[in-house]
Amino acid sequence: MIRIQSLSLPNLVGLLLAALLALGLIRWFGNQTLKADQHAAQVRRAVISAQALAEGVEGLLDQDQGEHLADWITPWLQKPELEQVRILRLSGAQLLYDNRETASLPRRLNKDEKDFFDQANRLKSARQSNIDEGLKRKDEIEISVLPHQLQVCAPLVREDKVVGCVWARLNTVPANPWLSTLQVVFYALVAALLFGLLHGLLGQPKSAGKAWKPFGLASALLLVLVGVFVVLNQAALNSQRQKASDSVHQTYQSEYDQFVQGVAQLGLALDPPAENRWDVDSVLRPIGTLDAQGHLVSPELSSGLSFRNLVLCFVAGWLILIFVGLGYAQRLVRTLRENREAYLFVSPAILAMLVLVFFPFLFGVLLSFTDSTIYNTDKAPSEIWIGLQNFKEILFDFDIMTRTSDGMVINFDNFYWTLGVTIAWTVINVFFGVTTGLILALILNTKNFAFKRIYRVFLILPWAIPNYITALIWKGMFHRQFGVINQVIQMFGGEPVAWFDGVFSSFMTGVMTNSWLSFPFMMVMCLGGLQAISSDMYEAARLDGASRWQQFRFITLPSLKIVLIPAIIISVVWTFNMFNIIFLVSAGEPGGATEILITKAYRIAFEQYRYGYAAAYSMVIFFILLVYGYFQVKVSKATEAHV
Amino acid sequence: MSGELSKKAHLGLHLFMLVFTFLATYPVFWVFAIAFSGKQTLLLADVNENPTFLDRLRAVFPWPEHPSFQSFIDVLSDQPFARWMLNSLIVAGLTTVVSVFLACTAAYAFSRFKFPGQRAGLMAFMVSQMFPGTLMMVPLYIIVVKYLGLGNTWWGLVLVYTTTAIPFCVWMLKGYFDTISIEIEESAILDGASRAAIFFQIVLPLAKPAIAVTALFAFMTGWNEFILASIFMEQETLYTAPVGLRFFVGKYSQLWGYFAAGSILVSIPVVVMFMFTQKFLVSGLTSGGIKG
Amino acid sequence: MNWTRLSLFFCLVGSLFAQDKLVVWHAYRGAERIAFEKLVDQYNQTQPAITVSTLAVPYDALADKITAAVPRGKGPDVFIFAQDRLGGWVESGQTVEPLDFFLEDETRESFLPVTLQAMTYKDSVYGLPFNYKMIVMIYNKKLIQKPPTTSTELVTVAQQLTKPDAGQFGLAYSFNDFFYHAALMNAFGGGVFSQSKPSLNSKPNIEALNYLMKWFRQDKILPEDPSVALITSLFNEGKAAMVFSGPWFLGEIESGIDYGLAPLPYIEEAKSPMKPWVTVEGMFITAPSKHKEEAYAFIQYATSKTGAGLMAREAFQLPANAAIYQEKDIAENPTLSVFRKQLDASVAMPNLAEMTMMWSPATTAMNTLCRGTDTPQEAMDAAQAKLVEAIGKLRKAQ
Repeated sequence: MIRIQSLSLPNLVGLLLAALLALGLIRWFGNQTLKADQHAAQVRRAVISAQALAEGVEGLLDQDQGEHLADWITPWLQKPELEQVRILRLSGAQLLYDNRETASLPRRLNKDEKDFFDQANRLKSARQSNIDEGLKRKDEIEISVLPHQLQVCAPLVREDKVVGCVWARLNTVPANPWLSTLQVVFYALVAALLFGLLHGLLGQPKSAGKAWKPFGLASALLLVLVGVFVVLNQAALNSQRQKASDSVHQTYQSEYDQFVQGVAQLGLALDPPAENRWDVDSVLRPIGTLDAQGHLVSPELSSGLSFRNLVLCFVAGWLILIFVGLGYAQRLVRTLRENREAYLFVSPAILAMLVLVFFPFLFGVLLSFTDSTIYNTDKAPSEIWIGLQNFKEILFDFDIMTRTSDGMVINFDNFYWTLGVTIAWTVINVFFGVTTGLILALILNTKNFAFKRIYRVFLILPWAIPNYITALIWKGMFHRQFGVINQVIQMFGGEPVAWFDGVFSSFMTGVMTNSWLSFPFMMVMCLGGLQAISSDMYEAARLDGASRWQQFRFITLPSLKIVLIPAIIISVVWTFNMFNIIFLVSAGEPGGATEILITKAYRIAFEQYRYGYAAAYSMVIFFILLVYGYFQVKVSKATEAHV
Repeated sequence: MSGELSKKAHLGLHLFMLVFTFLATYPVFWVFAIAFSGKQTLLLADVNENPTFLDRLRAVFPWPEHPSFQSFIDVLSDQPFARWMLNSLIVAGLTTVVSVFLACTAAYAFSRFKFPGQRAGLMAFMVSQMFPGTLMMVPLYIIVVKYLGLGNTWWGLVLVYTTTAIPFCVWMLKGYFDTISIEIEESAILDGASRAAIFFQIVLPLAKPAIAVTALFAFMTGWNEFILASIFMEQETLYTAPVGLRFFVGKYSQLWGYFAAGSILVSIPVVVMFMFTQKFLVSGLTSGGIKG
Repeated sequence: MNWTRLSLFFCLVGSLFAQDKLVVWHAYRGAERIAFEKLVDQYNQTQPAITVSTLAVPYDALADKITAAVPRGKGPDVFIFAQDRLGGWVESGQTVEPLDFFLEDETRESFLPVTLQAMTYKDSVYGLPFNYKMIVMIYNKKLIQKPPTTSTELVTVAQQLTKPDAGQFGLAYSFNDFFYHAALMNAFGGGVFSQSKPSLNSKPNIEALNYLMKWFRQDKILPEDPSVALITSLFNEGKAAMVFSGPWFLGEIESGIDYGLAPLPYIEEAKSPMKPWVTVEGMFITAPSKHKEEAYAFIQYATSKTGAGLMAREAFQLPANAAIYQEKDIAENPTLSVFRKQLDASVAMPNLAEMTMMWSPATTAMNTLCRGTDTPQEAMDAAQAKLVEAIGKLRKAQ
């Protein structure tokens, strides 16, 4: 018997919290799986029914123009879960059958039934584009989930073309809410207990050192608890799944029997399907566990709780235990309390950033692990989850050089080529921007220098005028025939240059434009920074006989550092992601050689519609900059407080 | 560097500055030339066949053939451009005030307090600039318009521009605050002054040059932004000037004369704002508060 | 309080409830905008049920604004846009509403067939065509009395007027831009997609490019590096006798130039006239709109003889409505009638979502071809490979 006392208060609280979280998570995952299983079974049953009905209706329409439609459908209506059945023929928007309709049928659809018509039309074009593309990409049977109801819309096909649809609405058994009343009471009690314990815990003075032994004990307990719970949970899940799977077979078999009976009763020349066409997925591929009569031919796939999820649950709980048990929680609360003033000063700005920057960022992170494209925007991230595959595709593509008939050619689409271009782009631009800005600021800061104000106002203009037009003017200046630059070259007897045809010259057009656009910003920042330097220092230096260079090297530059470092970091980040200039000036010419990472990401997202891949590209950009920022800050010690 | 330079050196510097300023403003002259040309083409140097040196010189000289004010008149009468300029002023002005204020408080804390999470916090500001924004348009729209309900208001734009401007402002100001001597503050604390009083009465006045620079920067962030402004707003009377300018760029025809004229109008407030901040950038500003 | 006042009050309250609002987004400015607002005013006066209001959005932002706002239910009821983004919007869902259900045969037949085809994506109609744009032949009347109608005539006339040393050319057009080149490509029966599969290097496409290269290299009737700026300047200086360009070009012609319009010539080698790509501006109803029927009534009015006619007369749009061309003033208009004639020999520019991926490889191919580094076959093979790769990555069986 383990004595509670040997756990110590923090570990006890930690263990409780951790168990609460881990078990709750497992329960939640379990419930999700259960719900998914039940839902899948319900969908399969609905699809089987709709497909069986559609197959019969197709035959009927072929043979007698649908005279016996009502007779054929009547047995179907006996199903208790069936709410409504409608049959539509697309040509003329004819409603052929509706068990709720009192007016005479067939009739043209009413205006408020447009959605129904559009749905059938969607099935038609889905089938057509799947055939055209030779892919199974679009849903050929539509299932929509309503609260406690399911709607299926299955196509009526004639000569490989969708001519109408069978639509059915079925009631579904509501899934169990994952918290039963008993559980709520239990969780509430535990929470109350925890609150009391936490209260006592946080009031405690800080204990000296970390208590490893009780922590180890608590961890072991947590592991055992989780293990027991998982075994129980799995057993429950398995029995539920068996039930769900049985219900599918039963539905299929009864549909089959009914089909055969119906044919006999109405004396139709219809054969029951020779293969499984009813138990299908959303693109009408047989799921493959049933044969034509609905007998199980291969075992159903068992999913259950994945090992990964279990580990995740345990680790989440364990982290809580570490946090509370090892005293981190206590420390956190104390720090918050002690530095109230500082946090108060910082929080408004941080809050604004959190809302507008970090939420979209998290969205981007999520997206980068999926295969999201324009074709699956309606799917949940879990359905299109592909893990690290996007990153692999980006980072492990070393196909930089391709051998062609003309010898080795650089593959401009390769990530590493673009990365190289981006780095060169950033370094050169920032270098030009900073040196120009710094030199100008120094000159304009010279004592008694006349017309400073005028120079300054003129030099601010490249920043002041909207860069959309100035960038295009730069592009125009590089024009082969009408460009000012080529005119000047020709004035002095040179040959005109086709700036955008060569990789290097095309790259330089962007660099010149961007450096021109960015130096005024640097100049103003340096001017601001120079004001922090007291003239007494120069006075003193001069008395010591320091030369001009020495004054610059040992007084100006170190003092400017405080402004320059953030300005450099921020302009590296901006230039790295400078989208407009490349897009407007060189547009990646020739052949995408002068694209940078961000323009590539843009093309992937908005020209190739691969959102997940583009998000992964952005994440890679982000990490490159993060690594740069980390080292830059470390080297320059810019984050340190003054005191 | 201060210190007296010889007359000759001054002359040399002026020569350099004249040449540089000319080169740097040359593309801007073209904007003016196009704006005053009364035409809509962006074609710069058009020469005859077999041009002489002088023909080419004329072609590269940014001067319209028939100077006219027509583009300016059209820009102002064709659309409520003045109204849009006013809207821009309001949005950029609010952005400046909000971001400078928030950045000052945050930067002060980063500079004067030592607290856990300080480095991480500063880094977080910088990191926020690293994720490419081009792809984040739709998430931003969802947050600002759908969840915060700030679509079609100036506050939505101010919020977005502020978060764009804040990180750099915080870094810049934190650096500057670091140079301000702490002794005055310490003696003020001894005299019983509150933190808020010290911040507003001692620190902020000393940091004027940096505040002026960050204000200019924040202003520019809100001033020239086009895409979010056109996506958030649902009334033409609420458009900002950059949105109005883009009307001149159509799918098939681009009215560069109007665009250039509008661009000049749009940059006037920036120049005025810069002239105003200039007085804080006067060389040789020495004050006892600056640490030696 | 007397009765008149009371009834007036009820009228006001009644009208407050009755007056639903229908919002339309467009990217018009200048004359087009004034004409469109007039059209909307007229419509508001014809019926009391709903008030249509407009919002002008810069063209550069309109597509992004639609993509961001409409699927979130924050967009307008109707918007006006060209067909090039249609496929993307249909595929991403929740943006444009299919109109087949509303569309009666009578309405369907009231439009010029090519324009309605541009509004059709995978057999469903998503918008009503409003106006169209495409390239025709624009010639300098001083240099050419009778515009050529066949390729032989064209080459003969052009060669007479070409003096490369004097920078003078018989024919000038942006042949290195795939949009302009499409006219030749379609004449040879080519296309960029066939059955939604890429077909950049198909046989007719190569033939078309070989033919273009004959004009460029053998006949030498075309200028090098034909940017839009160059062509405008050549034509305005009387150094280009003929250009192939669209209605947007007419605004750039200087007042001193006496120009005429004619349909693009018949290419004897292809046994077909040149068939340019048509871009069609359509009026689309958004999927989340709460007033779809009212919106349809409005777009039907706007694209009718009355609505589109107003846009043609006051803003020089080329209406997609067929009946307008029967009216005397339109039928006799020399500009409109030429475009109308050209429309009979034209192809709607594909509206597939994947079209956006086509431009970049096609542009690269045209550039390498014009620089002479690649043959048509090599250039198009490379472009095709890139396009197939990009599409393959996008269209994965789910």
